Amino acid sequence: MTKFNRRQTLGLMGAAAATSLAAPALAQNRKAVVGAMSLTSHSGSFIALQRGYFEQAGLDVELKFFEAAQPMAVAIASGDVDFGVTAITGGLINLAQKGAVTVIGGALSEEPGIDGQMYLASDKAFQDGLTSIEGLAGRRFGVTTAGSSFHYMGAKAAMHAGVDAPEFVPLQKVGAIVGALKSGQVDAWAIVPHIAKALAGSPEVHAIGMVADVVPNYQVTTVFTSQKNAGNERGLTESFLKGFGMGVSDYNATMVDKTNGDEAIQEMVKIIHQYVYSDREFEKAAPSIINGSMRLNEGAALNTASVADQLAWMQSEGLISNDITLDTFVDTSYVETIDA
Amino acid sequence: MSDATLHSAPPPAAAPNEAMEIRFRGGGFVAKPHRWMAPIVFVVLIAFIEIGTRSGFISSLTLPRPSDVLATLVQLYKSGQLFEHLVPSLTRLAVGASLGAIVGISVGVMIGLFSYVRAGLVPLVAAIFPIPKIALLPLFVIWFGIDESSKYALIAFGTFTPTVVATYGAVDNVDRSLIRMGQSFGLSWFSIVRKIVLPGAMPGILSGLRISLAIAIILLVAAEMLGAQHGIGAYILEAGSLYDLERLFAGVVILSLLGVITSGAIGLIERRVLGWRT
Repeated sequence: MTKFNRRQTLGLMGAAAATSLAAPALAQNRKAVVGAMSLTSHSGSFIALQRGYFEQAGLDVELKFFEAAQPMAVAIASGDVDFGVTAITGGLINLAQKGAVTVIGGALSEEPGIDGQMYLASDKAFQDGLTSIEGLAGRRFGVTTAGSSFHYMGAKAAMHAGVDAPEFVPLQKVGAIVGALKSGQVDAWAIVPHIAKALAGSPEVHAIGMVADVVPNYQVTTVFTSQKNAGNERGLTESFLKGFGMGVSDYNATMVDKTNGDEAIQEMVKIIHQYVYSDREFEKAAPSIINGSMRLNEGAALNTASVADQLAWMQSEGLISNDITLDTFVDTSYVETIDA
Repeated sequence: MSDATLHSAPPPAAAPNEAMEIRFRGGGFVAKPHRWMAPIVFVVLIAFIEIGTRSGFISSLTLPRPSDVLATLVQLYKSGQLFEHLVPSLTRLAVGASLGAIVGISVGVMIGLFSYVRAGLVPLVAAIFPIPKIALLPLFVIWFGIDESSKYALIAFGTFTPTVVATYGAVDNVDRSLIRMGQSFGLSWFSIVRKIVLPGAMPGILSGLRISLAIAIILLVAAEMLGAQHGIGAYILEAGSLYDLERLFAGVVILSLLGVITSGAIGLIERRVLGWRT
C-alpha cells in the first residue's frame, strides 16, 4: 500500500517536473530489463525502480536476478538483459572483446574512511601467524573463479605487502568460500563489508586488513550494457543512467553520508530489504544492509584509472589477451571519468 | 532382338508351370559396419562450423572457430599443460570410478543374491540415486576436506548408485533354467554363483558400467569445481568463467575423447570376458 502511495506521489512530482526534464533524447516508456543481484551494491537499481526514477526517465524497468556476475554478463551478451551492474571480471572483458558488452559507467567504489571490503583469515591460519596481509605468501586464498574480483584483491594484497602471491583456490560460490574459511580449508579471503563483519564477529574468522588500504579508490563494480545499446540506442542508455544515477544519489545521501537522518535510513533499508536478505526478518536483515553501505559513484562516474589497473593485472596473469585496450570494453561517452 | 528383350524382362508373373523366383525377404534391420560414415559426419559438421565462423554468419560469440580450438589443443600439448591437467583428472577418475564401481558391483550382487539385503538396500539406493551429487559437494568438503578425497568421494558416490541398479538387475535376469540345472546337477551354492550367476550377469554389469563411467566423467567437472587448480574440469570451468570459448571447447573435446576411450576399453573387456557368448 505504502509502495503504491509513494509511487503515486512521486509520479505527480515527476509530472510536475516533466516539462523541464523531458529531453528529446530520452526514451518514452521503453521497456528495459535490468540485471541485478541480491546485494546492497545493487541498491541504485532497487531505489530507482521503487521510487519511480526509471519511470521519470521514461523507462518501464523489469529487474532480473542473477546468482553471479558471469551469467549476467552472458545474458547481456545474448540480449536477454539490457543493463547490468557487476564487478569487472576476465569473463566480462573477454565478452567485450567479442563485441558483446561495454562498460558505460561505474558503481561501487572503495573510498578511504568508509568501511569497505575486508581481508579475512581463518582462525587456524590466524593462530599460525596470518595476522596481516604480509603473511599471505603461499597461503590458500579463496576465490570464486580465476579472474574474479576476489582473485584481483588477493593478488593486489600480496603485491602491496611485497610478498609472494598466495595460492588461489577456486570454489565457484561465495557460500562455498564461507564454509571453507570457517572450517579452515582456506586461509584467507576478501569480501564486502556486511558479510565480512558478520564473519569477523565469529570465533572462526578474523579480519586482517582493509581492501581500501591496498587498492585505494578501487572501482569494484561497473555499469555495463550490450554494445548494441551503447552504440545505437543512446536515448535508452542515457535514460537508464539518468534513473540509475538518481537512485544512487539517494542511496549515497541516506546510507553512506547519512545526511537525511535515521528515519530516512530505516525507510531506505525497507526498500532494499525487498530485494536483499528478503528471506530474513526485517530486524535481522537491517543491520547487515546498513553494514554493507559503500559508496556508489555519483552520476555513475567511472574510475578509468582503477579499471586500467585491473585490466593490466588480468593481462599480466594471462587471463585475457594482451591486445585488449581500455577502449575495447569501455565507452566513456556517457559519464564522467575519474582518471586518478 | 525380340529374344534378348524377352530374357532381360522379368518373367511373366502368372506363368503357371515355371518355377517362380521369390526374393529372400528375411534381410534388413541388421546393423552393417560402415567405417567411413562417422568420419564423414564429423568432417561435414566441423567444416560447416569452420566456414560459418570464417564467413561470419556464425558470430564468434556463438561458437569458436574449430581451427582455433585445434590450435589451442596443440598449444596445450606443446606447453606441457595438457599433462598437468590430464594426470590429476585421470587419477581422480580412476580412483573414484573404481571405488564406486567395485563397491557398487559388490552391493549389487549381494542385493541380487540375498533377499534380506535386497529388502533393506533397494529402497535406500532408490532414495540416493536421484540426489544430485553436485548438491552435496559442499557437504563432501566438510566431510572429506577440500583436497583429493572429496573429489574421489563425489565421483565414487556418483558411479555407485547406477552400478548397483545395473548389477542387481543383471543378476535378476540370469537365466533361471540354468540355475535350476546347476541345482539338479548338485552344484554347491557357491559354485552356482561363481559359474552361472556371475558370468550370466556380466553382460548387464558391463553395459551398466558404460553408463556409470560416463557419469563419472560428468562428475569429474563437478568435482573439480571446488578447490582444484589443475584438472580438465578445472580448466573447463576457468575457461567458462573467462568466457574463453576456444579453451572451453578444447577441454570439452578432451572430455569427449575420454568418453570414447573408456567406452572402447569396456568394449575390449566385453570381448574378452564375454568370449563365451557366441
